Amino acid sequence: MEQAQRGESPRLTVALLGNPNTGKSTLFSALAGIPTRVGNYPGVTVEEKLGRFVYAGRTIDLVDLPGTYSLLPHGPDERVAVDVLHGRQPGVPQPDVAVVVVDATNLERNLFLVTQASELGLPLVVALTLADVSDRKGITIDGSELAQRLGCQVIRVAAPRGEGLDALKDAILVAGTSGRSSPLPLEHAAADAGRPAAARDAIARYALIERLLAGVVTRRFAAPLAEDRIDRLLTHRLWGTLVFAAVMLAIFSSIFWLAPPLMDLISAGMDTLAAWVGGLLPEGALRDLVVDGVLAGASGVVVFVPQIALLFFLIAILEGCGYLARAAYLMDRLLVGVGLSGKSFIPLLSCFACAIPGIMAARTIENRRDRLLTILVAPLMSCSARLPVYLLLCSGFVPNVAVGVPWLRLPAVVLAGMYALGVAVAAAVAWLLSRTLFHGPPQPFVMELPGWRWPQAAVVLERAREAAWSFLVNAGTLILAVSVVVWALANYPQNDDRIAADMAAERDSIAARLADPATPEADREELTVEQSLLETPEGLAVARKGAIQRHSILGRAGRFVEPIVKPLGWDWRLGCAAIASFPAREVVLGTLAVLYNLPPGDDDGTALERRLKAARWDGTDRPVFTLPVALSVMVFFALCAQCASTLVVIGRETNSWIWPAVTFTYMTVLAWLAAFGTYQVGTWLGW
Amino acid sequence: MHPVPSSLEDVAIGGSACVADVAGDDATAIRLLEMGLTPGVWVRVLGQAPFGDPIELELRGYHLSIRRAEAARVLVEGA
Repeated sequence: MEQAQRGESPRLTVALLGNPNTGKSTLFSALAGIPTRVGNYPGVTVEEKLGRFVYAGRTIDLVDLPGTYSLLPHGPDERVAVDVLHGRQPGVPQPDVAVVVVDATNLERNLFLVTQASELGLPLVVALTLADVSDRKGITIDGSELAQRLGCQVIRVAAPRGEGLDALKDAILVAGTSGRSSPLPLEHAAADAGRPAAARDAIARYALIERLLAGVVTRRFAAPLAEDRIDRLLTHRLWGTLVFAAVMLAIFSSIFWLAPPLMDLISAGMDTLAAWVGGLLPEGALRDLVVDGVLAGASGVVVFVPQIALLFFLIAILEGCGYLARAAYLMDRLLVGVGLSGKSFIPLLSCFACAIPGIMAARTIENRRDRLLTILVAPLMSCSARLPVYLLLCSGFVPNVAVGVPWLRLPAVVLAGMYALGVAVAAAVAWLLSRTLFHGPPQPFVMELPGWRWPQAAVVLERAREAAWSFLVNAGTLILAVSVVVWALANYPQNDDRIAADMAAERDSIAARLADPATPEADREELTVEQSLLETPEGLAVARKGAIQRHSILGRAGRFVEPIVKPLGWDWRLGCAAIASFPAREVVLGTLAVLYNLPPGDDDGTALERRLKAARWDGTDRPVFTLPVALSVMVFFALCAQCASTLVVIGRETNSWIWPAVTFTYMTVLAWLAAFGTYQVGTWLGW
Repeated sequence: MHPVPSSLEDVAIGGSACVADVAGDDATAIRLLEMGLTPGVWVRVLGQAPFGDPIELELRGYHLSIRRAEAARVLVEGA
């Protein structure tokens, strides 16, 4: 409105179209800077990216279309680009101009899309990127002759250096006022008459391109470029594999070891904030809600940001320099056997640190089926939040005996076994799903191995920023809501009489076991510690917290599910801890500590280990934690989907709530069955 | 006598061949044609991945990787 009043011409909508790896993202950043809107188109997994810039008094809306090789859609995801170009995509205005980004080093194949775009009935502008690289390769392109033959302007741009941007903007404005481009005429060969139209067209398009380029492109003899030698090395069967292993190790270590200090910093900052806010509020339900519910929940969301930003930073570097496609090429054979593809490798590897960045990294898999399948099995990789559970139970309950050789200890073997279990089950599930639910014609693996280039800092930083931001906005808010609800369920209702009665009962049971001469000496020590702790105000506060949790809705749910978890060898406290760990797996040890009346700060593992060893089934002398129980707990945690954040992210990334429901159901059923089998077999063998 | 066309899968690493046809008319065949594997184009096989599959090709001035299953559908002459 404002513009109309000032008498300026209306806005121009410009679609940015191009093959993958053509520098389209770099051009988008150079033209529009940070996007004004990033999201998903409804119903598909295609990213929607909008930006805006002002040039010569005109406001130009830039719509970035997903990189595509063809405008002939092979599925719903690819149809989005076509729908946007035809103005059929709700919420996106019909573009006035289409800018086709064309890689000068790869003109023949890139022009395929230009021939298709010429049939859209939109004014076209061709942005010729990477022309500096083609110059170095000895390829000379006669731009004005090409423009003549294509019937549209051809502008050389070097987006990273800002060259040609104004010329491109001028060309866009001119194209916006001039007429539409006319279709480039295809001549179908008579010999192809029997083929389907799409095949006939494709053949005719390349024949047309060969005619268009005759005399336009001249190749001088050029010495083999360094990049070709690098390519031979990095796709070499031996050296390529070694480099690949080193690169993957570097990625994995950085998210596994580089991110945690940042995460600790965020946690510490949030704790300080919580303490400060807690000091401002009067003691009571409101303070509990704000500090323990909302701020603790927010902390649990923000803490994922370093891993997500770091992983996307690294992936953007790999993508920018062309290694991402090579990594998929090298690993494809390993994954294709179980129904996945080479592109699943990095997302799945990342899941060993955390499933959330890993599932988000599945965005790099263009194929819809492969992407969904990767996301569905991703949470089976043992993430770093499961490690403390494994470590505690392995060191506490698995006998420290040698296996075969003296240096190989059983706890280490069990620990490795848990990781192997996740991988094996993921492979089996992927194999099964690809032959049932996802059964269909074989998915083509036709992947360009782009030329080696320097990654663009602007693009790399934007990918990291965008991934972190989209997680916070799209998933973070929902994860926060879920954690506040679970916090409330674990802390309410608070009935003072019941809590007092519960605390008295706990005290009596300790006294009774100490009085019992049959109680072993080791337990007696732990019980004395527990008893003396109850004399201190701190110990009392913890005991009260434990009593509140035991009588909360969640605590009662724990007792309610006892018949379900009993076949796994668990008591109701373990059932409770499993349910309470739903917002985030890392709280499971904290929850167990509270349920077993252990003061906070003391739960470094050894104290909890001692307390778990002394735990008995209510009213009996039977220890809760035996080897079969410890194994059943570990197996359950290895396979279960007890992580609300993961499920929320699956929902956001697949744009559907069916897939998180499917993931939760199949993983919980598998986890229960495997834990049941482990416990029953272990008990039968008399472990 | 015309030589019987073999497929791109049979071309030795380092060797070149001229595409004669792409078998079938499903989405995979269309994609292979769209990526430039049209009759008459010369293709060089650059290498194979560590586990023998997929293979790396050079055609029309760029590098493309396809699985052996797809390469078997690209019929060639002059291997």
